[in-house]
Amino acid sequence: MTTSNLSSALPSTTLDGAAVRLTGLHKNFGHVRAVRGIDLEIAPGEVVAFLGPNGAGKSTTIDMLLGLTRPDFGTTTVFGTRPVEAVQAGRVGAMLQGGALLPDVTVGELVSVFAALHRRPMPVSKAMELAGITDIAKQKTTKLSGGQSQRVRYALALVPDPDLLVLDEPTVAMDVEVRRSFWASMREFTASGRTVLFATHYLEEADDFADRVVVLANGVIVADGTGAEIKASVAGRTITAVVPGTHPAQFLQLPGVSNTDQQGQRMVLHCNDSDTALRALLAAYPAVHDIEISAGNLEDAFLELTATTRQEAHR
Amino acid sequence: MTSPMSTTTNTATLPAPAGVVGMTARYALISTRTAYRNVRFLVLTVALPLLLFLLYANVYQGQSTDSGLSVTAYLMVSMASFGCIGAAINTGARVAIERQVGWNRQLRLTALPPNSYLIGKAVVSMLVTLPALILVFIAGATVGHVSLTPTEWLATGVSVWLGLIPFAVLGLVIGFAGTVDSVQPISMLTYLGLSILGGLWFPVELFPAFLQAVAKVMPSYWLADLGRSVLAGDGVPMTAVLVLAAWTVVLSVLGVVAYSRSGTKV
Repeated sequence: MTTSNLSSALPSTTLDGAAVRLTGLHKNFGHVRAVRGIDLEIAPGEVVAFLGPNGAGKSTTIDMLLGLTRPDFGTTTVFGTRPVEAVQAGRVGAMLQGGALLPDVTVGELVSVFAALHRRPMPVSKAMELAGITDIAKQKTTKLSGGQSQRVRYALALVPDPDLLVLDEPTVAMDVEVRRSFWASMREFTASGRTVLFATHYLEEADDFADRVVVLANGVIVADGTGAEIKASVAGRTITAVVPGTHPAQFLQLPGVSNTDQQGQRMVLHCNDSDTALRALLAAYPAVHDIEISAGNLEDAFLELTATTRQEAHR
Repeated sequence: MTSPMSTTTNTATLPAPAGVVGMTARYALISTRTAYRNVRFLVLTVALPLLLFLLYANVYQGQSTDSGLSVTAYLMVSMASFGCIGAAINTGARVAIERQVGWNRQLRLTALPPNSYLIGKAVVSMLVTLPALILVFIAGATVGHVSLTPTEWLATGVSVWLGLIPFAVLGLVIGFAGTVDSVQPISMLTYLGLSILGGLWFPVELFPAFLQAVAKVMPSYWLADLGRSVLAGDGVPMTAVLVLAAWTVVLSVLGVVAYSRSGTKV
């Protein structure tokens, strides 16, 4: 994204340049160290996924960047201002995780109330249409399915007509079809160059919908890159083979090999490019035999990445 | 952030005072509409004082109190105060429900400043007291044969209504300090306790000396005193105003503390 189309999409972007800037964020709850030092800059127009298992610090980080929770250390700026100012100016829309909706009102009334509390909201009907809840406008908020509630929350995030949209696990409780239409409508909304940050624990979802994936585990960022980069780092193919008289560390020098291991007699080579690695292996070690190649399971590999960090965290 | 240009942007995004007032009013109105929708609660706070008044009005019809006020007029002010206190306290306490469902967190993502939220909530509590006040007064005028000029009715009604401010604040204190499970018994006990100890059910003169002393600390006692004094044409009693104002100040301080402590995630 170039500077010129940025400024046309977001005329009021500050000279700070970043939509979101987190510097040295720390947050403890009692003796639980929820966030242990997060530095992150999100440029205007980026669609960023926060990927991580439960308890990784995603929600706490999001609460801090929305100004709902005060960090113990570190600073948060949104469009160059304090989060509270950005929120009051209507530049931030957010879909919070969990909780019920306000009781005793209809869906349409709820969205109208929320719109009335913003300075330059989009028309309520437009927000409801984007969120796909026009047909349930007259229903009571207490009579909704999980997926419907999520879409109502999405409408609440859209109605301020924000420059930054923050979604904390937006697709929880949505079935596959609703999930697909949700992302389609979000794409439509962000096409005009708005910034989006969403939290998820599905690698596929992060990869499909974000330009950039930031992986969190135990309150720190463990990876930051495009979906393809993250996938390559966590989920390449694996070559296993018997190579007499060798040590696992030797194979790290082969091209395409990212990590090595040993299982009994067999060497285990985790590869980001298994074709190249195999050619190099055969050339360098003619005695190699019983070769097997398997495609790694993406989710397993991702769990492994975050689990390793978990162990480190407790050291 | 240090550049002059971003400073300009910040200033431009600060809320205009008029906008905040308008937004607060809008928020209060919408919340009031929601509160009125809770029929069960309205029936409870209106029906009980109204029934008690009709019952007593029949028994004491035509009698006068020592001060010369008719018993029905005395009871009318007591029962109106009783109903209004219930409405004010219970409405404020419902904040606990909004807190539990996370609506407070959601509201903090709007342009509504925290002060406006609190003021809006207090306004809602005040508006929700009106049915009890008006209906008991109508019963007083018709069944109770309380006869006043329109100005006297208005003066009495407005005095009682304004005297409810500390009770509206009290409800919010309970709503921000309690949890969903605890606010209902707490607000019910507070409501009944204040009503009985303040002499709204039985005249304070029937109390033992010790309880009479207790009654004179209760805001409910002074609320009824204020209403009766204005109704009798004796003007606004300064002691009542001062005691109610003192309660408002103390409870507001407690409310701000409870509110700031409730901001953290449950």
